Amino acid sequence: MEALEQFNYPGELSPLRDRMIAELEDVNTLCATYRSRIYRYALLSLKDPDLAETVTQDCFLKAFKARKDFRGDCSIATWLTRIATNLIRDCTRSRKFQFWKTAGSTALEAGDIADRLRSPGISPENSLVVREELVKVWDAVDALPDKQRSVFVLRFVEEMELPEIATAMGLHVGTIKSHLHRGLAAVRKAMEKTR
Amino acid sequence: MNTNHLSAWEQEEYILDERTPQMLRHLTECAECRAAVARLEDGLGVYRKAAVQWSAESLASRPQQVITARKQPVVSLRWAMAAVIPLVLLLIALLPFRTSNPRPVQQTAQIRDDSRDDALLDQVDEQISAAVPSSMESLTHLVSTRDSAAAKGSKHLVQSN
Repeated sequence: MEALEQFNYPGELSPLRDRMIAELEDVNTLCATYRSRIYRYALLSLKDPDLAETVTQDCFLKAFKARKDFRGDCSIATWLTRIATNLIRDCTRSRKFQFWKTAGSTALEAGDIADRLRSPGISPENSLVVREELVKVWDAVDALPDKQRSVFVLRFVEEMELPEIATAMGLHVGTIKSHLHRGLAAVRKAMEKTR
Repeated sequence: MNTNHLSAWEQEEYILDERTPQMLRHLTECAECRAAVARLEDGLGVYRKAAVQWSAESLASRPQQVITARKQPVVSLRWAMAAVIPLVLLLIALLPFRTSNPRPVQQTAQIRDDSRDDALLDQVDEQISAAVPSSMESLTHLVSTRDSAAAKGSKHLVQSN
């Protein structure tokens, strides 16, 4: 957000853009800074570590190739997220991905992830409650449509602001809000099932 | 105390940081709404924690890959193409000259041969149509005499008849 606020001063845009392009030139530093973030976004969207890795690699390669086209009207993280969003969309549209999505099952995945969740300092009873809650939220997020899930992940995992998500997804802020409300409603509904 | 609880939409708005003073005031007064919002926030917090942990574990098991290695061949390939294309164009431009050059030589040789043949035929014609050599002239006289005698004989026969 700090970078975005500075864009209110057009006179300072060019030096800031030059600095950002210089940052894009150093692809190794760029990867070290943003790799985990882009990989996480791709992994949560695609649920496939190999595909997520491919998307992450392609994202940095595309960013490096298109670094001269970067206008500097958003932060590098948002720009990378936008590239990753397009790559993820291309991936999910492919027939091969649709086949494996249909053939595979994520039912075990939520339980596995909940089992591996480290919660130090929590009693066994509370740990069980947390585990149950997580499985419900995880399954509810998994069941969201692709676009809604991406928006949900960007807001509640990457903790991006709504205008940043709108830029990254190429949607209006109002549409992003609508997606988030639907996602939250689904999560709330899933969590209320135990009551 | 305000008994009008926050709606589901308002609770979600609160979580999305779209907070109004009325919402905040209500939450300070209403434990039930506070608990509902806190429960939803906790669920989202656990989800985030699990997602970050899963991603970190998955990423740690993968080697860091160098991306810069892929850009160099593209640049060198461009230079190679830039060098090869003019050469190919030059070869294409030179190809018609290579095939058309031998043609005039062949044509002139053929014309020369034809004229030589014509000259030879002319010589033969001349020889054939030339006067009989002097050494053989007597023979021609003999033939002409006989011919004349035959002509005379036939004249005699006509007269006798």
